[in-house]
Amino acid sequence: MTAIVRAESLSKRFGRLTAVEDLSFELAAGTITGFLGPNGAGKTTTLRMLLGLAAPTSGRALVFDQLYAQLQQPALRIGAVLEATDFHPGRSGRDHLRTLGLAAGLPDSRADEVLALVELNDAAKRRVKGYSLGMRQRLGLAAALLGDPELLVLDEPANGLDPEGVRWLRDFLRAFASGGRTVLISSHVLAEVAQTVDQVLIINRGRLVVESSLEQLTAQVGGAVRVRTPGVEQLRQALEREQLQTTASNEHVLLVHGTTSEHVGDVALAAGVPVHELVTEGSSLEQVFLELTGGDGSAVSGATPSAAVPPEAKP
Amino acid sequence: MIAQVKAELLKVRSTRTTLGLVLGMIALILLFALLTGLLSKIGGLSTTEDQRTTLSLGSLAGIFSALAGVLLVTSEFRFGTIRPTFLFTPVRSRVLGAKLTAGLLAGLVFGVLGEGVGFAIGYLIIDARGIAFVLSGGEVALLLLGTLAATALWAALGVGFGAIVRNQVGAVIGLLAWGFIVDNLLFGLVPSVGRFMPTRAQDALIGLKTEHLLSPAAGGLVLVAWVVVLALIGLSLVARRDVS
Repeated sequence: MTAIVRAESLSKRFGRLTAVEDLSFELAAGTITGFLGPNGAGKTTTLRMLLGLAAPTSGRALVFDQLYAQLQQPALRIGAVLEATDFHPGRSGRDHLRTLGLAAGLPDSRADEVLALVELNDAAKRRVKGYSLGMRQRLGLAAALLGDPELLVLDEPANGLDPEGVRWLRDFLRAFASGGRTVLISSHVLAEVAQTVDQVLIINRGRLVVESSLEQLTAQVGGAVRVRTPGVEQLRQALEREQLQTTASNEHVLLVHGTTSEHVGDVALAAGVPVHELVTEGSSLEQVFLELTGGDGSAVSGATPSAAVPPEAKP
Repeated sequence: MIAQVKAELLKVRSTRTTLGLVLGMIALILLFALLTGLLSKIGGLSTTEDQRTTLSLGSLAGIFSALAGVLLVTSEFRFGTIRPTFLFTPVRSRVLGAKLTAGLLAGLVFGVLGEGVGFAIGYLIIDARGIAFVLSGGEVALLLLGTLAATALWAALGVGFGAIVRNQVGAVIGLLAWGFIVDNLLFGLVPSVGRFMPTRAQDALIGLKTEHLLSPAAGGLVLVAWVVVLALIGLSLVARRDVS
């Protein structure tokens, strides 16, 4: 199976800052891939290199086995939205689509079709100035769909969408990919895309941290053991003597990481701490994500470098 | 590239910016006509040069045409539409080539409208005073065709300038400063150099007889050279720079 998208040792440096470093991955046809990482991890830079808007410092990114700039009529194969605000405010939504459609040799009727698809027909002839953020998001998507592409690349499409919009987008992408087409969608919040994607690429500080299916990811990173006990403090000390990491969930519940319920039970017995409940919990995807990117989901603080990105986490 | 030219022409037509520039151009020509009519001496406007100046009010179209060219590039960077534009046409020289072509065509429209209004009013001013018309047919033809060509070239020059500067406010201010201040200062201080500046090349092209100006043919060539040089610099920068 040939890869729809292939990044080969992609790197991008801006002066002394390395935005993307030695990034390699492939996307197979018919997949929806979540491209994840905290803000500033290098997602947008990677997508810009993929789409021919920025030149890699080294390495290369291929789409359909070619550099984007070498594709004849790329809009007929790839649809992309990088910013939700890329419109001239004084131009109508329909004219915006027509200017792009003309460049790709598409008829004006195609603009009307995609406007209907994203449910913007009523606003088609109004100037974009008067569009809400949600409407702009959909107009951007309409532009990406003009050429009826096989690959859709969306950068943070859920930003600024209300829950209804997020649901609409999810259903749309599902339908889009069900026909064997491919989607690459970036986000800094895993939960936003967890219900949509089948596989994830997680990057942090410009490097690939994880490339796996969503199930693998969930299974791969172990959960925590939850203990309910009246002796939280006593148990915590006992566990720490065993080099186990704990977090207090509330005054009666302790979460123990990186171990089994048997071990925790034994430690509790040895320490003479009563246990009222002992459960192994699969960690939520968001926890997994935060562990992997070593942050709070926003900018990488740099305060927890040791927790971030153990090299062996790379599959 | 025809598809891209069509797209660029639709960009020019589909916002109110162009209409605003056309209206601004006509308003300025009318204002200058009014000033010429009111301020010229009784019995003035009878010499060839006075008449040529009066009839060349349409040459003011050049600056508006140049602004339209600048906006054709810089508004794409300002509003981010350059991203979808390049996604649809990743060969950037093709985009800039289309913009230059669309600019020339739009510039022609500016030229026809500006020159039409300017020449008509100039003619009316002279005619209303009952002054004999002393310009030859050849001189009038040079004035009309020269203005038309210069106005079209100005738009292409604006496209190149906009591609170099990219920042819209910077490019607009830079262009106005260049046209109204730099060229005049240079021509005033060092006419042997200043006559090669684009506004003075235009003056030469339309047949003005100010001292130190180039010949009409040389003026036309110099204006074309400016367009080519700025377009090439703009092209190499646009092709090389990353789009954020």
